[in-house]
Amino acid sequence: MPGLQVCELCKSYANKLVADHISFSVQSGEIMGFLGPNGAGKTTTIRMIMGITAPDSGKIEFLDQKSQGIPCSAIGYLPEERGLYKESKVIGILRFLAGLKGVDRNTATQRAYKWLKKFDLTAYANRKVEELSKGMAQKVQFIATVIHEPQYIILDEPFSGLDPVSQDTFKYELRALADSGVTILLSSHQMNILVELCDKIFLINHGKELFFGRITDLQDLYGSFAIKLKLKDMAEMQRLSALPTVASVVQNGQNSVELLMKEGMNPQSLLKEIPVDIGLSELSLAKTSLHEIFVKIAKEASDEK
Amino acid sequence: MKSDTLKIAKWELMRYLTNKQYLISLVITPVIIVALMAIPTLLAILDKPRETTFYIVDELGILEQLRAGIAEPHIILKEAEDIDDLPEQIYNEKASGYILIDRDFWHSGEISYYYNKLNHEELGLIRSVLNGMLGAHRMQELGLDEEELAFLKEEVKVTRNALEKAETLDKNVIVVSVVFMALVFIMIFSAGTMLMQSALQERRDRMAEIVLSSIKPASLMQGKIIGHFLLAFIQIVFWLFVSIPGVIYFLNFPVFDALQASRLGMVFFFGLGGYMLYSSIYVSIGATMDDMQSAGNTQSLAMMLPMFSILFVAPIIENPDGLVSRFASLFPLTSPMTVVIRSVFVKIPLWEILLSAVLLLASIYLISRLAAKIFRVGMLMYGKTANFGEMMRWLRYKD
Repeated sequence: MPGLQVCELCKSYANKLVADHISFSVQSGEIMGFLGPNGAGKTTTIRMIMGITAPDSGKIEFLDQKSQGIPCSAIGYLPEERGLYKESKVIGILRFLAGLKGVDRNTATQRAYKWLKKFDLTAYANRKVEELSKGMAQKVQFIATVIHEPQYIILDEPFSGLDPVSQDTFKYELRALADSGVTILLSSHQMNILVELCDKIFLINHGKELFFGRITDLQDLYGSFAIKLKLKDMAEMQRLSALPTVASVVQNGQNSVELLMKEGMNPQSLLKEIPVDIGLSELSLAKTSLHEIFVKIAKEASDEK
Repeated sequence: MKSDTLKIAKWELMRYLTNKQYLISLVITPVIIVALMAIPTLLAILDKPRETTFYIVDELGILEQLRAGIAEPHIILKEAEDIDDLPEQIYNEKASGYILIDRDFWHSGEISYYYNKLNHEELGLIRSVLNGMLGAHRMQELGLDEEELAFLKEEVKVTRNALEKAETLDKNVIVVSVVFMALVFIMIFSAGTMLMQSALQERRDRMAEIVLSSIKPASLMQGKIIGHFLLAFIQIVFWLFVSIPGVIYFLNFPVFDALQASRLGMVFFFGLGGYMLYSSIYVSIGATMDDMQSAGNTQSLAMMLPMFSILFVAPIIENPDGLVSRFASLFPLTSPMTVVIRSVFVKIPLWEILLSAVLLLASIYLISRLAAKIFRVGMLMYGKTANFGEMMRWLRYKD
């Protein structure tokens, strides 16, 4: 049962198409990653979903919603351009933003303290925003996004500027929210986070869909395997490159090489081919990283242009 | 939607009412205004006029009488002794000069002033005292006694009797009307500036998009306008509350009688209308800027708009029924401030007042719609100040 469905969304600014027939759906309990380089059309698409800018054509449907249109109070939105009123108190802002979503004062206060405690910020409830560090402020923004217990959460670059520890906290909380049935859409240009977190991915560049589906499907579709080896003797490189399944051998560090396989070859057959007498200190098998795929697809797409 | 507007209004209100700066300025501003008005007077009192010395060559022996007549301690009259040394003496003492009152004065009525410095004002005073003395002396020579003299000197007295439907200009009503105009003006300016900053802050603090994901831009704008209206209203009520007892007690001004005589309904209607008109202009202008310093030509011009009304005050006082006055009281950008002023000096026909009101309401409707469009687009533009062309383009965006 899909939670959010987007059909054929188009938008152009000054005769330049910034969203070109964008379609996807996210089911409730799923996290969808919106991946693309800067200026690819992520923020524009998100703003259209939020009703902040109007699409030229296309349809956005929030399913299981009784009312027509965008159910503001059922969505938690963290925009890319975000901040907090500097001179106001943390608890005041959280109450205000929860109030705009229709949460009464007492409930808002209770939930605010619950979340502040989770993020270890209880002591800052009555402090002014200007006293917070950047990371703390981002946590408060996150709380403001989820305080009204939305069914949909839309986050535009939520991890930018966060330290790794805070990133993990965010990832953990987002996963927990998805498990409780929330539909989550998040955009990022940081592939590694999306790989860890997302069920589905939408790859976008120049306003166009490059790929939409599960990450594993993307890797099956675009990625071949790469085998990394640490050799005891670098002279063995010669022997490795002569193997039938190997397309090339690249040295990428002292004593370490990467074997790239020929198209359509099975990694297991390569493993069988490696001579037993080659001195190995490390061996790892991995699919091409999402980063490499992304760079490759984006490059292909712009070459086609 | 209505409740969203009220939530924003309440937030804006509470944000300022709990802000020390606002509370301090609430109290300090009237103190500063009073100080600004009182200090020049105080300085004038403290700063005694410069002493000016005149030598008098007195051939009639009337110096003492002249001195008594002048009674200004800063004008010093000295009897001249040696006329040949006088110029030297005058330069040395930096005196003004010497006045020659010769024997023939009572008949000729002429004196001569040999000056180092002209000192018109002081000379004028001396001359008017001599005038009086000359007149009195001549009347005495004609053989008139004290009573007859007093009778001769009597001035014309005027008794004023207003006709039943007289076009009276009650001074108190003028004062109250002018004070109200000033308050409307202050309200438009101070609330307008605060509104502009509030919209600007929304952008600077990157809150616009977060807030706009919950409510409509129109609600945000209206909420801000209402919130700042209440803030300005609190400010003005506070000032009146503090100042009215003072005005009644110290100046003995019949505040309540004058209030009753003034057309308060009209003052409130046009005051409120003016606020509505200018506040939507200010708030949308705030949404087009990144900071106060980056205001472009369009923004600066829009900020100056209320000042435009001041240009019409003099023409209205001079000729309240003239073409310029009529135009000013009909034109929506000036009518909020000029109708009331004009109505003090002349009875404006009812149809003109109604036309002004209709034009004002229509402009409020039109301008607030245009402002809402600019506000909507402007709030989400980051990092740049919009120019006039861009704003015109925003007006054509569909919702």
